[in-house]
Amino acid sequence: MTTNVEIMKTKAEKAFAEHFASVSGSLPSDAVALDARQAAMSRFDELGLPHRRIESWKYTDLRNALTVDVPAVGDATAVSAADLDAALGPLAGLDTYRAVFVNGRLDEGLSTLPSMTGVEIGSSSGAPAMDDALAAESIVALNTAFVTGGLAIKIADGVAVDKPLMIVSARAGGSDLLVTTRHDVSVGTKASLTLIEAFASIGGTAGQSNALVTITIADGGRLDHTKVGATVAISDLATWRAHLGNEATYRAFQLIPGAPLARNQVFVTFDGEGSALDFATAAMGNGKDHIDSTIVVDHRAVGCTSRELFKGVLDDSARGVCQGKVIVQQIAQKTDGKQMAQALMLSEDCEFDSKPELEIYADDVVCGHGSTSAEVDPDLVFYCRSRGIPEAEAKVLLTESFVAETIDHVSSESLRDALSEIARNWLAANHTK
Amino acid sequence: MLEINDLHVKLAQEDKPIIKGLSLAVPKGEVHAIMGPNGSGKSTLAYVLAGRDGYEVTSGEVLWNGDNVLDMEPEERAAAGVFLAFQYPMEIPGVAGLTFLRTATNALRKARGDKELTTPEFLRLVKEKGAELNIDIEMLKRPVNVGFSGGEKKRSEILQMALLEPTMCVLDETDSGLDIDALRVVSEGVNALRSPERSMLMITHYQRLLNYIVPDKVHVLAFGRIQKSGGKELALELEQSGYAEYTDAAA
Repeated sequence: MTTNVEIMKTKAEKAFAEHFASVSGSLPSDAVALDARQAAMSRFDELGLPHRRIESWKYTDLRNALTVDVPAVGDATAVSAADLDAALGPLAGLDTYRAVFVNGRLDEGLSTLPSMTGVEIGSSSGAPAMDDALAAESIVALNTAFVTGGLAIKIADGVAVDKPLMIVSARAGGSDLLVTTRHDVSVGTKASLTLIEAFASIGGTAGQSNALVTITIADGGRLDHTKVGATVAISDLATWRAHLGNEATYRAFQLIPGAPLARNQVFVTFDGEGSALDFATAAMGNGKDHIDSTIVVDHRAVGCTSRELFKGVLDDSARGVCQGKVIVQQIAQKTDGKQMAQALMLSEDCEFDSKPELEIYADDVVCGHGSTSAEVDPDLVFYCRSRGIPEAEAKVLLTESFVAETIDHVSSESLRDALSEIARNWLAANHTK
Repeated sequence: MLEINDLHVKLAQEDKPIIKGLSLAVPKGEVHAIMGPNGSGKSTLAYVLAGRDGYEVTSGEVLWNGDNVLDMEPEERAAAGVFLAFQYPMEIPGVAGLTFLRTATNALRKARGDKELTTPEFLRLVKEKGAELNIDIEMLKRPVNVGFSGGEKKRSEILQMALLEPTMCVLDETDSGLDIDALRVVSEGVNALRSPERSMLMITHYQRLLNYIVPDKVHVLAFGRIQKSGGKELALELEQSGYAEYTDAAA
């Protein structure tokens, strides 16, 4: 006897399917053609939303977390430069090129793109180049199904882009929106680029964000990549997928200043020898924030170095999740991998889940990981107070110093200063105990 | 004027009393030394004056210019002019010395109703005060006290004292861990801060420091209370006789 088991769809899964059916015809076909969107949607239908029985989503059960209706897909909306700068806060003052997306659609008027030889900037189009890592992720399928825009950035061999490129993903209009973008970044041989992804909200517009970035760094190339999460309450789903050639450098940093639901997943594969990854992230949460940072590093070549540093500042009943998986394939001798996860627990009710995973098939490697969780040192608070610094300010200062260690991984001084200011502003506004 | 009247202190977690009826007065502009054997309650007194957690005042009072210090939070005491130079200055990883000093200086100026200093004004002040203590501005770009030698930590405490302009300085074993050259630099820094407006209470185990910072009065603390008070010559007496008459064997 056989029984057909039909897996029950959750409310959110059904909502995505229904929403897709109603809007798919109007989604831009130059970004992704309708049949490719439909193919992605049927893959989503097979995969469903990730849940806690999928190991890599153990602590972030989207089936439970996403129970609300899917917000409407955003439309192009006029935004003033002044409002945008206000929403960008300390990032607005940086000397960068800008590509501004409003509700997932490029606003050329607000953008200043580089016009130098060897820098080619167009629109991302078609389904992304898939591999096993991306194929397993249903939020990537959703990205392809709903994407409305994004850049295709190509830096030619030997070209060092003279200023950072800041891609702004702004949301505006007031009501909850689904904003879906995809950027494809290709850094040529011995080329270099500093890329900043800034998420901003105008007029308190919230909702859901699904952002995918695919990255290839050719031999001797370098990418400095920084993400700054939005300071409004959005569900922030983001995927970075990077492939590195020989002697390539990828320095990645993420600052998440609070989010009711954030999942930042980063997949890095070393295809070439002697390359280096430096990944650092600072997550700050309070209230019922849930901030998940997950990285999978796949060493497939000899002599690569990977460093990951996670820091979480958790208050109230916020939950921080840090998962770091390092795979060292048999061929990847002389791999040097280190990982550290640290949480500063500011309340009795916060939670920090730290899960390092090492899968090592080579025998001549150095791999290590560590994890700590602690509260603000009361002796140091007293030392500050004895010098006249009020208790709340002392705690902000000490908490900021904890976060600062991650920001120190960012190469650009002016960007570091802006990031420190964003972190300080968040701590001063939210950490008042 | 600092007045301590019949002060009794115990550890918050234990019942054993540490300070048992201590009375002391330090008039404005005077420097007093408190000497005593280990375990006599010297550091406890310093921490109670600065307002550290973990101690419980069971009775008595501490008045600073007539105000009850014990009712104030540590930062309020600092604003009122109380400053403790720590025996073991703390290291604060991740906070640059300059950031710490500027935050403290401006927090105190704000609390005292003075205008906060701009960054250039502050830097000028730090350079000037730091030069007197052989403290280079580069040293202050590093995290507070991290990787500093014993002498550097003590000089950094005295620099804080110079910048924060307290009127009641409590120096807890400022000579500990210092070689003779460092001791001279630190002492000169302290002496430069002596003024008719500023009182000081120096806590020390050894007479050595008092050759460099000559006190107006010396008090012997043992068994949780002042056993004897006198002029600076009392320190020399102690150097001769030791603390034998103030230890358990003699009691």
